[in-house]
Amino acid sequence: MTSILTLNNVTYQYEGTKSAVLKGINVSFEPAKVYTIIGKSGAGKSTLLSLISGLGVATGGEILCGETDLKQLDRDNYRAQSIGVVFQGYNLLTNATAVQNIVLSMNISKSTEKDKKGYAYALLNRLGIDRETADRKILKLSGGEQQRVGIARALSHNPEILIADEPTGNLDKETEADILHIFENLAHEEGKCVIIVTHSKNVTSIADTVYRISGGLINTM
Amino acid sequence: MYILLNAFQNLLRNRGRNLMMGGIIFVIIISVVTALMINNTANGVINDYKNRFGSEVSFVPNQEKLMEEAQANSTDGRFRIQLPQIEPEKLLAFGQSEYLSEAVYTAETKGNSDALNAIDADKGGGGGPMIGRVGPNGTQEAESLGVQYYHKISNQYSDFEDGLRTLTDGSQYPENENECILSDDLLENSDLAIGDTITVTSALTENGAEPGSETYTDISWEMTIVGTYTDMTEEYGGNMMENAYTNRKNEILTTFETISNKMQDSLSGITVDAKFSLVSPDMLEAYTAEVREKGLSDTYDVTTDENSYNRIIAPVEGLKSITFTFVIVVLIFGSIILALLASIAIRERKYEIGVLRAMGMKKLKVVLGLWSETLAITVVCLILGLGIGPIIAQPITNVMLEKQIAASEEAQSGTEFSGGGTFRSGGASAMSGGPTSMRFGGPGQEDVQPLSELDVSLDIVTILEIIAIALLLSSLAGIIATRKITKYEPIKILMERN
Repeated sequence: MTSILTLNNVTYQYEGTKSAVLKGINVSFEPAKVYTIIGKSGAGKSTLLSLISGLGVATGGEILCGETDLKQLDRDNYRAQSIGVVFQGYNLLTNATAVQNIVLSMNISKSTEKDKKGYAYALLNRLGIDRETADRKILKLSGGEQQRVGIARALSHNPEILIADEPTGNLDKETEADILHIFENLAHEEGKCVIIVTHSKNVTSIADTVYRISGGLINTM
Repeated sequence: MYILLNAFQNLLRNRGRNLMMGGIIFVIIISVVTALMINNTANGVINDYKNRFGSEVSFVPNQEKLMEEAQANSTDGRFRIQLPQIEPEKLLAFGQSEYLSEAVYTAETKGNSDALNAIDADKGGGGGPMIGRVGPNGTQEAESLGVQYYHKISNQYSDFEDGLRTLTDGSQYPENENECILSDDLLENSDLAIGDTITVTSALTENGAEPGSETYTDISWEMTIVGTYTDMTEEYGGNMMENAYTNRKNEILTTFETISNKMQDSLSGITVDAKFSLVSPDMLEAYTAEVREKGLSDTYDVTTDENSYNRIIAPVEGLKSITFTFVIVVLIFGSIILALLASIAIRERKYEIGVLRAMGMKKLKVVLGLWSETLAITVVCLILGLGIGPIIAQPITNVMLEKQIAASEEAQSGTEFSGGGTFRSGGASAMSGGPTSMRFGGPGQEDVQPLSELDVSLDIVTILEIIAIALLLSSLAGIIATRKITKYEPIKILMERN
């Protein structure tokens, strides 16, 4: 199958440090698969995700979205339209309601959906958030609910790639299972490429491919 | 569009912060509204008075130069100050200027006519040299010497403009040389009718004669009565000397040319007044240069009626100065406070900005959203400020003006005023003769009162200025937001947070 995202010899070094955290990552990701990236703390997992999601820029090598180098793309548009990111800390607008977060994301991505609010309610409902909860401010939602809203926001513009950074790190086992089930369905039933950074063995259990980052390099498990 | 919608939603989401921001912006705006209203109204009043008082030109003798000249001409240690002469033809030349909007000449002399029975003729005539003496009961009395006149002849029609005299029905103003109008009482008393001709004679003094040995030359006018006027003032108009000459009803009104055409180089007794008005007060310097070139002696200063202007306007000037300073101070401090607030607000909203940027919102749109919020708060404060400002501006103005008047009066109480005046000449020239006389202590002086009321109003210029200032302040907040946001990288913000 054709790669949807390809990393060729990607390196990254933080400013003021002597050695690179990523020293030549070569990996490709395909649609309809769940990938997990594991590794010790500080190994560079989140750094790799930030590069893939266009939040950071690789100091060396190239990241191809399809066949186009990310450096040639408008990274704001790339983040808004091509990928969806689920953050470990949810990173939602806490003063806004769940549905407002989703609608705003759709607006930023220039969604052509006419009834954005209706679409947002439906999306949240699909992820287990009822209408009443959807109208509550983020601060009044539980961790699990916030993570579901985070996933809904990442999916709101129907991206081909979904990136998640420790998506179940703050959740109980039952909620973790629900969330993982959602990711699995997104990949296997909706054809999304799901890339998850995790420490959790439960998460790796749903992966089609597991990568380990160590010493600045990536290897298949 | 969604940027604006999100901005308005944010206003409601963060009520506490926005109320505080709004409160500060409101205080700045209401202060600026009030101060600008007072300042602009004061400015308008000042300009109005400047145009009124600053355009009438006076030729005022420079006392210092007169003294210097007299001392320089002294041979035996004694000196006599003599006013220089401005000949009438020079006055006429001074009136021919592109810098003047108006040049009004008036001429005046005295005369007698056999055809006229002057009112109160039994009280005697006047108009000649006077001598003062103490009367039998100790009162001050004055006696006229030389020729006694019963009629004043002039072309002064200002009383008609002021409503003190009116032209009688069927009458007309004299338009041609040797036409005149009389008071209806004088016409009746003299048993004359409109259309009749009268001969008026004036004995003009030969120049150069020593006091007491003057010789006279009779000059006559044959004038046709073209109308009558009714004088509605008291006959003597407060004049202490009551005689036929000072009785207003005995005045013969004619044209300037009728009087001035009889002026001769060697004779004095006809005086000419000139009143010049500048097109704009700013032209004083250029006009001064022009009249100097045309021969005005440097012993004369060319001035406008600054004293009256200063006396009336000084408190308003003070008010304007204070409000202007206040506006500047408020704007400086307001800008600093707003800048700090905007900076703090951006710092506080760093996480929100990080989330929006991570979602793919462009920096410009983030800035636009934040600026829209500030602008919306500013607009609300602006509407409130423009509504409340005019209510509080008037009482503040009254209190401030009262204090300024008190301060101004205190400052001026020890100041001696020496003012301008209109020019009066009967100078020796090809047209006339006689000494130049100046009337000092011109308009204003003691009777001019400072402006005691200032009706403050909110005009369109002030509204536009306030809107511009408000937009400037909110833009300042926007610029600070832009600077901050440009420096922020979403990944760093979110990593710090997480």
